[in-house]
Amino acid sequence: MDPSEVEFLAEKEFVKIIPNFSLDKIYLIGGDLGPFNPGLSADVPVWLALNLKQRQKCRILPPEWMDVEKLEEMRELERKEDAFTPAPSPYYMELTKLLLNHASDNIPKADEIRTLVKDIWDTRVAKLRLSADSFIRQQEAHAQLDNLTLMEINTIREFLLDSLNCMYKLRSNLQPGATKGQFGDY
Amino acid sequence: MVKVVEVSDSSQQKTLRGHEAPVLSVTFDPKDEYLASSSCDGSVVVWNIEDQTRVTSWPLLQKTNDVSNAASLCRLAFQPAAGKLLAVPVETRVHLYERGSWDQVGSLSDELLTQPVNVAAWSPCGRFLAAGAVGGLLTIWDVNSRLVVERQKHEKGFTVCSLAWHPSGSQIAYTDTEGCLGLLDGLSISGTGTGSTTAPAAKPAKGYDDLFDEDDDRLMDEGLSDTNSPVKKAAAAEDEDDDDFLIPSTGRVRNRGAILDDENSLDTGSLKLGQDKFGEDDDDDAGSSVAPAAAAPLRPVYDGPVPTPPQKAFQPGSTPAHLTHRFMMWNSVGIVRGYNDEQDNAIDVEFHDTAVHHAMHLTNSLGHTMADLSQEAVLLACPSTDDLASKLQCLHFSSWDTNKEWMVDLPQGEDVKALCLGQGWAAVATSALLLRLFSVGGVQREICSLPGPVVCMAGHGEQLLVVYHRATGFDGEQALGVQLLQFGRRKRQLMSGEPLPLSPKSYLCWAGFTAEGTACYVDSNGLVRMLNRALGNTWTPVCNTRETCKSKSDHYWVVGAHENPQQLRCIPCKGSRYPPTLPRPAVAILPFKLPLCQTSTEKGQMEEQYWRSVLFHNHFSFLSSSGYEVDEAAQTQSDKEQQELLMKMFALSCKLEREFRCVELAELMTQNVVTLAIRYASRSRRMNLAQRLNEIALEKSTQLQEDEEPEEEPEFSSDRRTSGYRQTEPYNTRQNDEQQEEDEEECEEEEDGREMETEETKRCLNPFAKESGLPAKPSLTPVGRVGRSNPFKVADSGKPTSSSGQARVSNILDNMRSSRKLAPLSGSAGKPSKGPVLKPLAPRTKAKAQSTLLQISSNKTANKKTLEAAEPAADLQKQPDTAAPPAENTENKRPKTGFQLWLDENRKIIIADNPDLDETDVIKEAMGRFRTLSADERLLWTERAKGQSGETADVKKRKRAENEAVESDESNARKKLSSLDPSSKLSAFAFSKN
Repeated sequence: MDPSEVEFLAEKEFVKIIPNFSLDKIYLIGGDLGPFNPGLSADVPVWLALNLKQRQKCRILPPEWMDVEKLEEMRELERKEDAFTPAPSPYYMELTKLLLNHASDNIPKADEIRTLVKDIWDTRVAKLRLSADSFIRQQEAHAQLDNLTLMEINTIREFLLDSLNCMYKLRSNLQPGATKGQFGDY
Repeated sequence: MVKVVEVSDSSQQKTLRGHEAPVLSVTFDPKDEYLASSSCDGSVVVWNIEDQTRVTSWPLLQKTNDVSNAASLCRLAFQPAAGKLLAVPVETRVHLYERGSWDQVGSLSDELLTQPVNVAAWSPCGRFLAAGAVGGLLTIWDVNSRLVVERQKHEKGFTVCSLAWHPSGSQIAYTDTEGCLGLLDGLSISGTGTGSTTAPAAKPAKGYDDLFDEDDDRLMDEGLSDTNSPVKKAAAAEDEDDDDFLIPSTGRVRNRGAILDDENSLDTGSLKLGQDKFGEDDDDDAGSSVAPAAAAPLRPVYDGPVPTPPQKAFQPGSTPAHLTHRFMMWNSVGIVRGYNDEQDNAIDVEFHDTAVHHAMHLTNSLGHTMADLSQEAVLLACPSTDDLASKLQCLHFSSWDTNKEWMVDLPQGEDVKALCLGQGWAAVATSALLLRLFSVGGVQREICSLPGPVVCMAGHGEQLLVVYHRATGFDGEQALGVQLLQFGRRKRQLMSGEPLPLSPKSYLCWAGFTAEGTACYVDSNGLVRMLNRALGNTWTPVCNTRETCKSKSDHYWVVGAHENPQQLRCIPCKGSRYPPTLPRPAVAILPFKLPLCQTSTEKGQMEEQYWRSVLFHNHFSFLSSSGYEVDEAAQTQSDKEQQELLMKMFALSCKLEREFRCVELAELMTQNVVTLAIRYASRSRRMNLAQRLNEIALEKSTQLQEDEEPEEEPEFSSDRRTSGYRQTEPYNTRQNDEQQEEDEEECEEEEDGREMETEETKRCLNPFAKESGLPAKPSLTPVGRVGRSNPFKVADSGKPTSSSGQARVSNILDNMRSSRKLAPLSGSAGKPSKGPVLKPLAPRTKAKAQSTLLQISSNKTANKKTLEAAEPAADLQKQPDTAAPPAENTENKRPKTGFQLWLDENRKIIIADNPDLDETDVIKEAMGRFRTLSADERLLWTERAKGQSGETADVKKRKRAENEAVESDESNARKKLSSLDPSSKLSAFAFSKN
């Protein structure tokens, strides 16, 4: 899975928009959307929100967690805790990126939010790397990955699996059976 | 070092040198001769001001190097007036030094005083000395006797750092080190010298920070500032104003500003502060006894109701005009924002729906303060200035010509106070108490006087709502009146100056129309009321926005309302009454809820839902009556919803054994639903209830018919008349055609059935006919409407129009449906062979089924033996009926209704009264008279009629026994049924339904 796929999934998340047009309910495979009344907020998936936004048909209301104070709190908590704290949203990184890239004018203090989310992300990924390191170092058989978002798992998955594979290969080479094989090469 | 400076011109400065550490306090001798000071170096020094010399010095205090380290502030005090004594707080005592000799003449102490005395203060009369100590103890001594007359402990134990006596000597204000100000009240020390009661003056001490955050504290703060200002209300008002200025300067609505607005909203508060605010304090915070106490000295001599300053005119959906960034209008069309800061004086118009118009940016060179926005135009107005008249500007953006703007100057001295836009018109209320109407293109239209100073106006379509001051309100109440005008083709006044109900001590916050055009408004207590046209244009509270607020200082700023769907659109404001322009607020939706009792119970909930639904669908009738098209689907949907609710309530009351309530509910139902209710009742074996419901069903159908008649009679009179008879008429002819071979008995039986039916129809005219059968009722519904129209009219029309078949088909179909519903009932009653009968001649058997059922009921109740009385009536019906030879026979078996019995007795009288009447008219007349009888009397008659039933059944049975095969099925059933007593019959009915 690459990040764009994760982003695609994130686009299914709902956000509130304030449309500036009026439209009856629209019936889609994924469910009914609307009705849209100008000036009245409606819940739509991110992909539609961004589309409408790009056509200047709506204002996007930032999700509740996308708020400087809340994010600051989360950042502090994240830094304090050793384990992962619950992410503000399962797609926080993707949503932040999408919304801030396309609708930064509708989000108050967009820059601060961008920094904060990046901070949170960095903290979490650092933790992830750290725990992966200790996981390998201590040769654990399994690990618990609570409160990890899809994107985070995704960033480390390929590297971790590949490296584990490699290490497995290297380690198994050290085993007597493997040495036999080496002998066989000769 | 102490410096003495002449305050007036600061020309003379004197320096008193000698203290070696920071000075703690200084005090002037009242005669301005001496000055006393205390210092951290531990000395208390008396200076001669003129000579700038030290007169005397006492090393009394502990030495410290800084004020903050001093154990006591050592606030000295000279005795007022003569200045004979100087009080010096020394540790836990207060030393008194005599002026001149500077000898210690005494010392005041109290065993309760364990901590250093911080401050001493003389009463204005000089007899008492108050001292405040570290730890919050306040002590008052009588100086002459050296006795303690009063002790009071600060309830939080904060250190008292300053004291001040009220000039009257009855109160002491004090502050503590935590920044609170308290008041010691009720010091009646003047005479007795004994300890008197003290009001617990120490009030909840809160930190400085709190003072500016919370409502309560804020109020206290004000209360206190009031106490300090000897100038009474005016000063208080000034204080307010000072505070007000903070807001514009920041340009933001902050907490503080918002709270200010709380009392001060729309500037009413600034005038009414004195009394009312203290009243509010009482409500808001029982703990702060400070405020009421403080109010005491301020209270004017007049103790009666105080007039409320009338609230200022405002635009609904705007934020206060003093803000630099404000909403000038937020309505369902869009937003008008006004900016008025250093760089910019501009107006932004933005539309919710960009399809209406693109956003606009205008420079506000005229200084517009009022705005309204509609789908057609933006209306702006500014107040007059010294040299410029008040102007009205309209941006008519929907105009199709190139001139999109017009402007009107108001006459000199007339100011625009409120304005609004409707469909094709604009209205302006002015300070000259005039309501000026303009067309949206700028043509001046009607002008009329307003009964009072306008508060606000709202327009929608062709309606204009004007709220004005009807009179002066008292004690915080506003006395508002409301006018609702309608323009368009029929210009009229829907409401002519009724008082506008407001919550106690509140003022109007918003007024407008729902999207559907029903007037509604919001008062400052958050109560939303809506016009109830169905109840004589009364106002019904539909929502309390404050109930949904999380905190006391939160409000909802209403911007619009919709009836379908039921939405109250408003903006949640944290800690204020109105939202700031930035960040851009989001609209929230509140549901409506009628404040009915016990809405936590199921019953209350359903009642609330029902009445809310009724109220919120009033607009359908209004819209249709004013010629708009109505969303039929929504209307039927809402009707359905209401009826469903009624049915649910009905079921609930049934479950609770509340049969009377059931009947009451049934009266609210439509006829179709009543039939359902009847079925429900009979299924749950509530025969009594079912019977009563049946009467209601009858009544309803009669009503319905009566309602229809006036409209339809003129057009379809002939149709209608015959239709009453149709039910039986074709049947008769058919009977002639097809059934001639059948024997007399059968004919008779059939006829009988038919008769029953006509009987039924006749009885239906009499809504009070108690004896009509219950289970039969459902079948009556569709038929009834047609069949029940006055059967007597048939005689007039003369000829049976069996040819009017088209209309009939539908009747019969209706009939079919209903009888199909019934079929299982009769089937279970032992008549499974009914189907075959239905087959060959659908319409006819329909009638038969009908008649059977009717007969069941009539058998049960009516007397068939007494025929003579019924005969005339029957005759009348027969007259046009050429094909009714057996009719005479069957009449014998007709049941007798109460009416007929009554008619028997009264026919003579009627005929005597009106000798020239023919038979039909006699009956009509009789009908009329019977109706005028009291319910009791009628009941009596129906009872009598019932009493006579019974024997007839036997007669009938005998006859039926000889019937032909096809008919016998039916008649068997009927026999069976008729032989049972009414209740068992009903229960059979009920079972069959199960």
